[in-house]
This record gives sequence, structure tokens and C-alpha cells, in this order.
Amino acid sequence: MGLYAIQFDVVLALLAVLTLLGDAFNVFRDKRRLGYGLAVVVGLLLLYSFTPWVRAQEDTVFHGMYRFDAFALFFKRLFLMAVVFVLVMTAEFSKRIETGAAEFYSLLLFCGTGMLLIASVNDFILLFVSLELVTISFYVLASYLRRQLASLEAGTKYLVLGALSSGFTVYGIAYIFGTTGTTNFDTLAALLAQHGAPGHAFTFGLLLVLMGLGFKISSVPFQFWTPDVYQGAPTPVTAFLAVGSKTAGFALVLRVFFAGLLPVQATWAAVLLVLAALTLLYGNLGAIPQRNIKRLLGYSSIGHAGYMLMGLAAVNWLGIGAVLFYLGQYMFTVLCAFLAIVAVSNVTGSDEIPSFSGLGKRSPVLGLALFLSMMSLAGVPPLSGFFGKFQLFAAVIERASTDPRYYVLALIGAAAVVVSLYFYLGVGRAIYLQEAEDASPIPVSGPMRLALVACMAGMIGLGVFQRPLVEAAINAAKVFALH
Amino acid sequence: MTMEHLLTIAVLLPLAAAFLAFLFPADNPKAIRALAIAATGVSLGLILTIFAHFDRAQSGYQFVYGIDWLPSLNCRLKFGVDGISMTLLLLVGFISFAGTLISSEIHDRQKEYYILFLALTTGIMGTFATMDLFFFYFFYELAVIPMYLLIGVWGSLPPGKHGRTKEYATMKLTLYLTAGAVLALIGLLTIYYAGGRTMDIPTLTQNLRVDPPTQKWVFACLLFGFGFLASMWPFHTWSPMGYAAAPTAASMMHAGVLKKLGAYGIIRLALPLLPAGARQWANLIAVLACFNILYAGWAALRQRDWKFVIGYSSVSHMGYVLLGIASLNVIGVSGAVLLMFAHGMMAALTFSLIGFFYHQTHNRYVLELSGLARQIPFVGTCMVMAVMASCGVPGTANFASEVLVFFGAWSQGSQVFHVATICAVWGFVVTATYLLWAVRQSFFGPFDKKWSMLKDATTPWKRFPYVLLLSGLLVVGFYPRVLIDIIRPSVEATIINRLDAADDNNAAAAAPAINTVER
Repeated sequence: MGLYAIQFDVVLALLAVLTLLGDAFNVFRDKRRLGYGLAVVVGLLLLYSFTPWVRAQEDTVFHGMYRFDAFALFFKRLFLMAVVFVLVMTAEFSKRIETGAAEFYSLLLFCGTGMLLIASVNDFILLFVSLELVTISFYVLASYLRRQLASLEAGTKYLVLGALSSGFTVYGIAYIFGTTGTTNFDTLAALLAQHGAPGHAFTFGLLLVLMGLGFKISSVPFQFWTPDVYQGAPTPVTAFLAVGSKTAGFALVLRVFFAGLLPVQATWAAVLLVLAALTLLYGNLGAIPQRNIKRLLGYSSIGHAGYMLMGLAAVNWLGIGAVLFYLGQYMFTVLCAFLAIVAVSNVTGSDEIPSFSGLGKRSPVLGLALFLSMMSLAGVPPLSGFFGKFQLFAAVIERASTDPRYYVLALIGAAAVVVSLYFYLGVGRAIYLQEAEDASPIPVSGPMRLALVACMAGMIGLGVFQRPLVEAAINAAKVFALH
Repeated sequence: MTMEHLLTIAVLLPLAAAFLAFLFPADNPKAIRALAIAATGVSLGLILTIFAHFDRAQSGYQFVYGIDWLPSLNCRLKFGVDGISMTLLLLVGFISFAGTLISSEIHDRQKEYYILFLALTTGIMGTFATMDLFFFYFFYELAVIPMYLLIGVWGSLPPGKHGRTKEYATMKLTLYLTAGAVLALIGLLTIYYAGGRTMDIPTLTQNLRVDPPTQKWVFACLLFGFGFLASMWPFHTWSPMGYAAAPTAASMMHAGVLKKLGAYGIIRLALPLLPAGARQWANLIAVLACFNILYAGWAALRQRDWKFVIGYSSVSHMGYVLLGIASLNVIGVSGAVLLMFAHGMMAALTFSLIGFFYHQTHNRYVLELSGLARQIPFVGTCMVMAVMASCGVPGTANFASEVLVFFGAWSQGSQVFHVATICAVWGFVVTATYLLWAVRQSFFGPFDKKWSMLKDATTPWKRFPYVLLLSGLLVVGFYPRVLIDIIRPSVEATIINRLDAADDNNAAAAAPAINTVER
């Protein structure tokens, strides 16, 4: 029974180890094919997760540390999907990785394993271990292009700030453990429901944990690393940070605050409200002057953390469902953008926005993919980002009917939507309105085309037929004992 | 297939055609154009069929068809028309068909052009036909991407004193419209929760009860949110420049129908759902309407670019629509709806005629064109008739509707409205001044030899779109009851009854308070 619960994590970890071993025995000749092969294997694992053999019955293993339920399965599917697309992207990118392509893949897989664990975290100890598995893999991945200063800078920056935030998290966990005597979320929730918050030291610990997790989702005040690391890291790593790491951060925030700390929501709901507002403003205003598309997406990623924090700050069913939906659709949208960026910069060698000029003519499919992903990020129908934002706003307004402060948050969110449309359309303008200096066509490989079409289908499909993902999200949100 | 499916098919057909066109090879633009013409033509045919079978004795929604879409939000994909939306659906049917026909001037990237145009058409039709709050917003926002690209890629903005490019114009338009939309969204979601989590507009209209202080600010959200798109002063500045930069068919759609979406949002949602709020804001709307009429009219007097003249003129005319809405009585609101139809046809006709000669002259400065009527008599005649319609000459739909608006506003009775009506009537003089001046300058007077290369629309096929729009204006002008008879019952049922009920409630709430004071 226990093995059933951890099957995905085990398979992915084994795959990572096998990749390392295979490389040691020099089995892999073609680093591109290795990437596609791994993508196929993980893709099959993802498909398997949708078969009737996998059911989301609740189960805990490792003495209640690890929990398998609908929420965990929802996130495991998301992470597996992210790994598949990032592997394809890495395969496309692999000619720019000078040495150790196989290690790069295995690091990605280890990182993915950490994320799968995060989906099931039910204890602060496992939280820290899985979080470090992800973060330490990212330290190496971000600085993988070791001859490029920007990549090294990105890795260093991520390391310094990541270590600091890990310190915050552990310190906070220590306070929570010290004041309550438990690290298990279920026990913690029961204790808090019975006795209420045990004083200021506990609240201090809670805030420290929130700050530490804020680093992963790049919310204020731990957002500073985001633009630099996004810009400097190899593009597949940036994509993985944007979809995987952020999703993992939100999974943790949900597990910690909506399972373990739900009884004391009065202490943290207001903090989330303020953080959401500040994160929205920082991300969306900061993106306006950006000229590098990866840096722009870094700021945009902060902005989207803000939108999703809106949903969390509302502390209601709709809000959780909305955040889960948003994370699901965000994956297609952001992966689509980064896939297109990799394909373009493989040819142009530049990530500056002017180098995307005339992309609509140079490669219609890349132009369309990048344009649609920008519009989905901006939240324009019929793309999935529109419905994601609609639900988040609905959640905030629902809360606002009892607490008018939330109307201010909704207004800030509304302003952010308008501002974001400006800079996303800045990319759109380059793609369709401006002419390219070098109008030579950009080739798109078969697997890349397939991945792009899948992402676009995801964006449009979820934008129009929202129901499957909405219902999956509601189902996953049911694990929380909200009201 | 029964009658109730007709409306749904009419609305979704252009979108289906857009998807189909996506599969066509880009090197066969003729096939794509034929597909677009067929789709909008059939769609117009269906709308006319619906209009013919429309039960004129009934005030409620007809041709209702819906399916469950999202049970978690109680949202249904549901279409239906009453007299108000029927009128506007006719408008968009005519204009999208005419717009597709005159798009033969587009030669660059035709496939993308028609796909976007068709998507835009469905977006607008959907907004008019939907009975669901979520889909209202969905379709409303659906216009954003097509509009941005249509103007940005296929548009043109001749250099002028404004010193702006078409990229600036299209970005400004997009941002303004989105700003209005998200503001309206906050109001719409508040209504959704206040109405017990239902997205169904008729149910909300029947049951929604919001206390007057809340109504006041929610109404403001909707009024200003939709006001952006209705180019309500001072949120109108995106409009003239956006039209000037847009390709002909996009100008037609935007000035003709997209702008009406804003006013439609106020009529369909803000007035019936928040009647007490409407009473509180009516005076301000009337004042802003006067600014629209006079300020934009004044600005139009100073324009030298034909499209800017008509652009400001359309802002000015939206003032009459707003004034009719603000009067909050049957005559005024019905007049506003009819005026939306009349002005939409007129604006589309004018923009299509400007497009016709601009495509050949590559010049649309009023003063540099001269005596064009000699070379292109058909277009000249049409232009004179369009301008006469715009000036509200009897025999055109504009006359009928503007008179209704004036009667409605005057009979509202308060001093603010008396002054506003006088201003609005004075607006006629301003309109006539700039339009007659522009026509005289460009179409009459000495013929300039350099325009002797101009070719008129000679074949019936080429004349057809202009005749179509013009005949719409004249038919409704000579027999306004064809539309008024269906608009009026719906306005009465959905808006006026709700206003009266709200007034009664207020009176009932106020009466005991007076009694206690007396005791």
C-alpha cells in the first residue's frame, strides 16, 4: 500500500539514477535523443497517472509525513508534465550545453523528484528535505553554462538568497515546533483548533516560514533574485523555475497554511493580503522597462505570484480552486513561451525583445505560440489565462462581500491587468507589427513543433472548455477542511 | 435543427469559419475570402430569419437555447434575444457582412486578417446575444486581440499634428478598453454574489435586490467601466485616433458596433440590475453626455483628416445615446437603442466610403481632396446621404431616434435635463457645420485633375455593401416602427418596470420613517 502511494516519486528517482549510471558507462551517444527518450518515458508515466489504476484514495506513509490524496495527485501530474516539456526544451537547447548533458538531465529529474515529494508533504521535516532537494538541484542547474558569466552570476545569486531563505524556513519551523511540540500538519491543525495560537513566538515562526516559502514563489519580500536568475540561467532551467519551482512553492503554501495552520488563519490572511498587493505592484510595474524577454518573464512571474496570492488571501474554496486552475494553465502558457524563446534564440543567439521582431513572418508557428502565450499571461479570452484570472477575481470579490478591504486588492489586481497588457503587447508588437532586419526563416524541429502545438492546444482548450480542469481543481481542493 | 438553435448558429458560425480558415493554405486567399463572405452572409441571413419570426407581441427573450457550461460557477452557455438585443444583432449582422465585402482592399496576410475579423464578429454577436453574465464578459473581452492586431498590422495612420503612429493608437485603444473591462468586472462579480451566485441575466433582472448605497458604487463601476468603450467623455481619447489608424473594415466594426457594446452593457446590465444606482447617477450621465456632444463636436470642427472628423463625430453621437439612457424613461431609452442602430449603420457607411477613396488616393485630408463627386458620383452620392443621416435629416433612422432621445430627455423634467437637451439640440448645428464643410470641400468645388485616376464603384457587386447599409438607414428612417415596436416592450419590461419597482421600494422604506417623525 505504501509503495502505491510513492510510486511516481520512486520511478522518477530511479530514472534519474539510471541516467547517471548510463552516462558513467558512456551509453548515451546523442544528448538530444537522450532528452527525447527521457521525455517519452516521463510522458508515459504521466499518461499512466490518468489511467484507472491510479486512484486518489487517501493514504499516508512514513508515519504520516507523506500524504497521497487528490491534491497530491493533482500536483504530481502537473510536475510530471513540467518535466516532460522541460526535457524536450533541454533537448532542443542541448547543443549549447558543452559538457555533462546527461548530468543535466539527471539533475532535472532529481529536481522533479523533489517536486513530486513536495506534492505530498505533510510534515515540516519532509517539507525541508524535499525543498532542499529541489533548491540544491537548481543551484547547480542555474549555473550550468559555466563559461557564461551571466549563468554563474545567476547560480550564485540563487545560492545566496536560497540559502538565506532556507535558513528562514528552518528557523521558523524550529519556532513552530518549539511552541507546539509537533511537526506533523494534521497534529498541528488539531492542536491549534483545540487551543488556539500559542503566542507570539509561534506567530513569529509562522511568518518566517511564509517568508521562506515566499522565496520559492517569488513573492515580496523575497522576489529580488527572480529577474536576474531568470535572465542568466539556461533557458530550460528558467522555464523549470517558472513552472516547476513556483508550482511547488504554492503546493507547499497550500499544504502548510491551509492544512496545518488553517485554524489560525486570522493571523496570516491579512499578511497574505498585503503581500499579494505588493507582489502584484512590484512584478507588473517592474516589467514595464524590460528589454530582455527572459528578464521580462522574471518580473511577470513575480506578478503572477501576486495574482495567485490574491486567490490564497481570499481563504475560500473558490480561491484554492482558482489557484490550482491557474497553476495548471500557467504551466502550458509559460512552457509555450519558453519553448518559443529557445527555438528563436537558438538561431538569433539573443534574448532581447527586438530580436523577436517580425517573428510572425520568420516562423508563423513560433510567432503564434509566443503571441498566444503572452496574451494568455495578460489574461485575454479565449485563452486559459483569462479564465484563471476571472476565477481569482471571483474569489477575491466573494471574500470582499464580508470584508471590504478585499475590494482594494481587487482594484490593485485590476490595475495590474491593464499594466501587464501593456508590456505583454510590447512583445506582441515585436512579433507582428515590426519588421525583422534579418527575415530568414527560423527552422522548427518536429518534437518542438509537437510540444508547441500541445501547449497552444492546452491554452486554447482550457480557455474555452474550462470544465475538466476546474473540476479536477475543486476535487483537489476538497482535501482542505475549509469552513 | 429547430428555430431556437438558429440564434446560436448565427452567433457561432463566424467563429467556426475562423477555425476552418485556419486549416486553409495561406496561398489561397480567394478561398478564405469566399469562406468569410459566406459565413458572415449566412449569419446575416439567419439573423434576418430570426427577425422575421420574432414575436413582436412579446417583451421577453426569444429563441432561447442554452447548455450547462460550468456548474461550479452556475454558468451556462445560453443565447436569446429580446427587442433590444435583436436590434443590435441586426446591426452587427449588416456591418460584419458589409465589412467582409469591402475587405477586398486587403492584400497582405489575408488569411490572418479574415480569421481575426471573423473572431471579432463572433465576439460582438456573442455579447449581444448571450444571457449569461460570464459569457457576456467573455465575448466582450474576446474583441481585444483581434482589434489590436487588425489595427496594428493592417492599419494606417498618416502623419499629423498628433505625432503618433498606428502602434501607439492601437496600444492606447487596447489599454483603455481593458481598463474599462476590468473595472466593470469588479462590478459584475459583486452582482453575481449579491444575486445568490447566478450568472443568468434574466434571473438576476427579476430577483436581484441590492441596497441603494451598494448600488451607487457598483453602478459607478459598470457605468465608467462600460463608459470607456462607449467613449464617454473624458474617456473618449482612444476613439478618434483608433478609428483613424484602423483598416476600413475594423473602423466600421469599431465605430459601428463595438462602441455600442459599452452602451449596451449599461442598458442591459447597469440599468435593470441597479435601478436605484441609475437614479443617483442619471444627472452626471446627462452632463457627461453634453460634454460628449459639444466637446467632441467642437474637436471635430478642427480636424483635417476625414477619419478624425468622423471619429470625433462618432464620439459626439455617443453623447446622444448616453443622454437617452440617462433620461431613464421609455421614450429616451428606446430612442437610445434605436440611435445605436442608426448611428452604427451611418458610421459604418461613412467609414467604408472613406476607405473606398482612401484606398485609391492614399490621401484623406479634407482640404487636399476636391470635387471628387465629379469623378466618383456613386460614392459621392452615398457620402452625401450618409452625412445627411448623420445630421439627422428626416427620412433617415437617425432623425427618428434622435427625436425620441430629445423627447425622452426633455420629458424627464428636471432642469439639468432641460439644459442638457438644449445643449444636445445645439449639437446638431455643430454636427452639420463640420460634416457639410467636409463634404463640400472634398466632394464638390473645383475638380482637381490629380484625382482623375479615381475609379467609381460601378458594378452592382461593388455597390452592394454601400447600398445594403444605406437601405437599412432609409427603411428604418421611413418606417421606424419596424424596430421601435420590438424595442419598446423590452425596454419597458426590463428597465422601466425595474426602475418603478425600485422607486416604490424607496418610497415604502421612506414612508415609515416620516411617520415616526410625525409621531
